[in-house]
Amino acid sequence: MNKNRIKIALTKGRVEKQVVPLLEKAGINCDQIRQKKRRLIFDSPVQPYEFILAKGPDVTTFLERGAADIGIVGSDILVEHRSNQYELLDLKTGECQFVLASTNDFDPNEPKRKIIGTKYPNITKKYFDRLGQDVEIIKIEGSVELAPLTGLADAIVDITETGTTIKENNLKIYDYLDKVSTRLVVNRMSLKQHSKEIYVLVDKLEGAIKDENLSKEY
Amino acid sequence: MKNNLLPLGTRDEFGRRAVAKQKVISVIQRHLSQRGFSVISTPLLEKQEVFDQYQLGNYQMYRFLDSEGDTIVLRPDMTLPIARFLSSTNIPLPQKFFYVGDIFRISRRLSGSYNQLTQAGIELIGYDSMKAELECLVIINQLSQELLKKNVEIELGIADFAPTLLEFLTTNKELQNKITQALYDKNIPEYSELIQQYSDLPQYKLLNKWPRLFGDPTTVFDELNNFDLSFELQSKISDLKEIITWIKKVMPEQKVSVDLSSRAPQIYYTGLTFRGFYQDGNDYLFSGGRYDKLLANFQDQTEPAVGMGIDVDMIADLTSPSNKSKKTMIYFDKDQWQEAEAKLKELPNSILSLSETKDDAEIEAKNSDATLLDLTGDDRRE
Repeated sequence: MNKNRIKIALTKGRVEKQVVPLLEKAGINCDQIRQKKRRLIFDSPVQPYEFILAKGPDVTTFLERGAADIGIVGSDILVEHRSNQYELLDLKTGECQFVLASTNDFDPNEPKRKIIGTKYPNITKKYFDRLGQDVEIIKIEGSVELAPLTGLADAIVDITETGTTIKENNLKIYDYLDKVSTRLVVNRMSLKQHSKEIYVLVDKLEGAIKDENLSKEY
Repeated sequence: MKNNLLPLGTRDEFGRRAVAKQKVISVIQRHLSQRGFSVISTPLLEKQEVFDQYQLGNYQMYRFLDSEGDTIVLRPDMTLPIARFLSSTNIPLPQKFFYVGDIFRISRRLSGSYNQLTQAGIELIGYDSMKAELECLVIINQLSQELLKKNVEIELGIADFAPTLLEFLTTNKELQNKITQALYDKNIPEYSELIQQYSDLPQYKLLNKWPRLFGDPTTVFDELNNFDLSFELQSKISDLKEIITWIKKVMPEQKVSVDLSSRAPQIYYTGLTFRGFYQDGNDYLFSGGRYDKLLANFQDQTEPAVGMGIDVDMIADLTSPSNKSKKTMIYFDKDQWQEAEAKLKELPNSILSLSETKDDAEIEAKNSDATLLDLTGDDRRE
């Protein structure tokens, strides 16, 4: 690996779409990513950054192993995967929230050991631990809303941006958990090896986020 | 189930990597023996209580029950067993020890990390002088030259800098801990929110700068000059400055930086901490510090001590294999053994062929990329 270049692992899909305009606002050329076709790695000679596109959980693995210097990934994944790398910036995009949801007849205070369906078993366990409740967790990979509707689980812990999908599936929100947004995370060793270059990027992005929020306000 | 599979997180070591690692170990052993350190070797198995006091970070231990029903663990650390050893024997102090051995830490499943790691290290026990820290720094400097032919960057820190600074800010222990955690994890969104409540205080500027208080010593100290630090912190900083001045004088080529915003390498460190890293490495190669209170974990009396661990696996991965000259494989008859033995001594990179026939010896030589030396003078093919 060429250690003179800063390797940025960007979560592909929605995060990528939301973050590319922000990176561009911060003066980073993203033309290659915009015209990516099926490529996953982008090294442009005009700037010190090399981009790779990966799935969220893999971004944390790349970062953990030092195969990437910087990761751009949702805080949901960072918390669920117990990442212990440096979280330097909240990019204030991809904002949503964890909720506890279920059908209308669900009683959160019913004295029984509840069954909870979720894509995020660690976050779910942490939430119920805090409430002092022991629950049975069922790991579900997608369409989590199905779990209470089919009787697989009593309730779900999932992320929602506007609550629409939950409402459309006749589910109700019973509690609000942690807020989620996209974060910029840095490998611990990389921050020592490339502190100047990494902070230049962080400061530029922070400026771009502030401008963005100001323009939203006016 | 197949019977030839390894448990997760383990590996066999063979070939180039095994050779590189063996070489790293022998260089470290020779170096430390020459400096007069005594070797110490403790068992792989320890009672769980030895490690009880210290939750050793982000990993679990391998545990078993012995025949008495006591919980036994595969050691996850080398320093605590040595502290246990010292507290249970009447070894006169001060003493300098070194060790090389394997430690076991269960890392996250399928993360690509190994659970069995080889560590070398030193423990200087019974020394309260700063000379103990300086000896560690000299060893980092010399060993990195010897092993990697390059200097690593030495990074100095103060284990209790953060708690000491925060004591002046608030008496709320829980809040102190929260701020320290967020600072150490460089979880900036959370950290910024936590310090917001102090935005009216003169210390706020320092709090704001704190996560970036690492790097070039002059820059960091210049930054600190802008703030009014407590006497206790000032004296810690002046120790740090003294060490940096000493390094510049005694090892002028050595690159050195400071870090006042990171967690100490081990939670039992109490004073100065030091680590060594290399531009190409994925982690620190050397890490150590002063741990004056550790022995009190096992006995009433405390002893001043400084220790340092060396990541043998990482150094082995970083050392490039040397281009050795080609091996010679000596083929001979049983009754030529003495003659073959003499050749083995005479030729620097040679090995005896144990094949029965010359054809087999040729295959053996080919497999080892060696030139065959035939002492039998026998050209017959069988």
